[in-house]
Amino acid sequence: MKHKGYKKAIVRILGPGKAQYLRISLFCIFISLVAGSVLLLLLGKNPLEGYVSILQGAGFIPKARYAGHKSIFTDFMSLVNYTTPMIFASLSFAVAMRCGIFNINISGMMLFSGFIASITVGYSSIPAPFAQILVVLIAVVAGAFSGALIGWLKHRFNANEVVISIMFNYIVSYVISFFIQTMFINPTTRQSERVGDNAMLTGVDTMIGDLRMDVSYVFPLAIIAVILIGFMFSKTRIGFELKAVGMNHSASRYAGIRIGRSVIFSMALSGVLAGLAGVSYYLGTFASIQPRVVPSLGFDAIAVALLGNNNPLGCLLASFLVMTISNGTTYMSSRLGVLREIASLITGILLLFSACGGAFKALADKYKEELDNEIDGGESK
Amino acid sequence: MNSIIIDGLSFSLPLFIIAIGGIYSERSGITNLALEGLLGFGAFTGGLTAAIIYQFTAIGGTASMYIALFAALIGGMVYAMLHALLCIRFKANQVISGVVINILATALTAFLTNQINASLFGKASNRFVLEVSPRFSIPLLSEIPVLGAFFTSIYPFEIVILAVALIMWYILEKTPYGLRLRAAGDNPQAVDAAGVNVEMIRFSAVMVSGAMSGLGGMCFAYSISSNVSPSIFSGYGYLSIAAFIFGNWKIGPTFWACILFGFARSAGYSLVNVLALPSAYSDLVLTLPYIITVILLLFVSKANKAPKSLGEVYDKGKR
Repeated sequence: MKHKGYKKAIVRILGPGKAQYLRISLFCIFISLVAGSVLLLLLGKNPLEGYVSILQGAGFIPKARYAGHKSIFTDFMSLVNYTTPMIFASLSFAVAMRCGIFNINISGMMLFSGFIASITVGYSSIPAPFAQILVVLIAVVAGAFSGALIGWLKHRFNANEVVISIMFNYIVSYVISFFIQTMFINPTTRQSERVGDNAMLTGVDTMIGDLRMDVSYVFPLAIIAVILIGFMFSKTRIGFELKAVGMNHSASRYAGIRIGRSVIFSMALSGVLAGLAGVSYYLGTFASIQPRVVPSLGFDAIAVALLGNNNPLGCLLASFLVMTISNGTTYMSSRLGVLREIASLITGILLLFSACGGAFKALADKYKEELDNEIDGGESK
Repeated sequence: MNSIIIDGLSFSLPLFIIAIGGIYSERSGITNLALEGLLGFGAFTGGLTAAIIYQFTAIGGTASMYIALFAALIGGMVYAMLHALLCIRFKANQVISGVVINILATALTAFLTNQINASLFGKASNRFVLEVSPRFSIPLLSEIPVLGAFFTSIYPFEIVILAVALIMWYILEKTPYGLRLRAAGDNPQAVDAAGVNVEMIRFSAVMVSGAMSGLGGMCFAYSISSNVSPSIFSGYGYLSIAAFIFGNWKIGPTFWACILFGFARSAGYSLVNVLALPSAYSDLVLTLPYIITVILLLFVSKANKAPKSLGEVYDKGKR
């Protein structure tokens, strides 16, 4: 009897019904926070204090003291600034994944478009609003090109897109590193030269009232992208075709959907979003490129999209969650004296549990079925 | 010329043993993108063991190296159980599980290395420094012109790898277990009907891939940098995935693919040396193995045959 109660509880929390996916995601977040607490306890820290300082660092709860020209609002704007590339990148992954393509090339595309935009517009003297618009356009074109290329290779040669993407990541990273080290290196920072303020997509240290903060100009664009992608998947024909191809290749071919076109289109769109992620990262959150380093954000985005269930709105929320953890941990590590690396560890655990989301759903569905069968069995007797 | 062969071999062989692990996993039906994370975690375990041996015991030199290699093998195997658990028990998407395992490995090893260095050895460092591995040459054979380079300044681990590779080939191709493993990737229903537990076979195959990756990762740590640091995650796992896909999931052709990668890389390096180019040019050279992979992959992809049930969760009810 007690055993049945435990099944009932699982069915109630995770079982079929309203917003099942949302509930499962929330459950995954909850157990990873529990796991994080255990970790903090093992290190001899107070988990509650830890999580409060994460929220303080990310600008959700006021800190005890602020430096001049800083406030809770400054911290929150900085979080927005860091989150913007993640929103684009996770959308980029979701768009491809919905069409059944695993795009692991997001990092490479980010690097590619960020580099192209830096050397063409970033080091030029084009006046401010035009330079920024141009940066965005270049990112869209560069991203669409690299995405479509992979889509085409996959369709035309039946090449394994995962391997091709990984190879492209390294090729892009090394070739760009070569150009940076021979032409654009800043000898003191060992990174590429800073791009000019005219091309930056983030207003660094902008004074608003009495406060000095980093304002991301492209964050509204990210929100628009979330809405547009959501609209495309739910209301348009091309969105439906992408989803159909992702669910069943053969059935879609039989229904007359042109597979090649869908694959290339979804990869191109994924590339556009990755390109936007790239410029908002390399000409926004940061202002220079580190040679030989592929941004880990492109890989983390895969898991963020997974946590958001490849749903545009889910991606937005999951991006904020993951970036809150990683941004807030800087403050936590200084307050509690734990290592900075704990941020990526908590994120890693979160991703691990979200990968099991499907299993939780299957388990809850199975229990529900068992319980239903028992009720039916009882009535027929 | 000599350095091309010597460096080429010491890069190809660890790559080869990791690829063998990948072949085991994928032939049994489990997609394994986690090789990168497995090799990193294995190397972390090995590095930690070597550091502990160095600090607290009198064992030194070659013996400690063999213990470290063995520890890396075990570490990779244990960590691989996580991938197996996610893919088999929790029926997670295998590609996603692989990526998550990689992300977690990077985070976990970085955190643990810093934490352990601070609390156990009392220093702030993100790496375990290893003793330099001894190298040896085989007398007589190494004096043959040109070909002698194959027997000159060999790392002891290269011999270990060749021996293990031979055993792994024998198990996969010649034993009943190997037959069942290969069948589990092509037709798991038939394996099940023959009374063999498909999930057990797959679980063990993923553990083997972890063990091989751990071993290979530790070899990379000894040969490339003499320490275990976050730079161990520089894509060798992914490169070995490319190698076995290119080798059509067969151990023999995969060996030649690994040799090709290793020699393209070492030839490029010595080209930069010979022409006395600035070090930035080595970046261009480093792209060689990757470019070769892409081009070759485009040619072989049409003819490639992945195991039929690769990436599918085994479902007893399905025909």
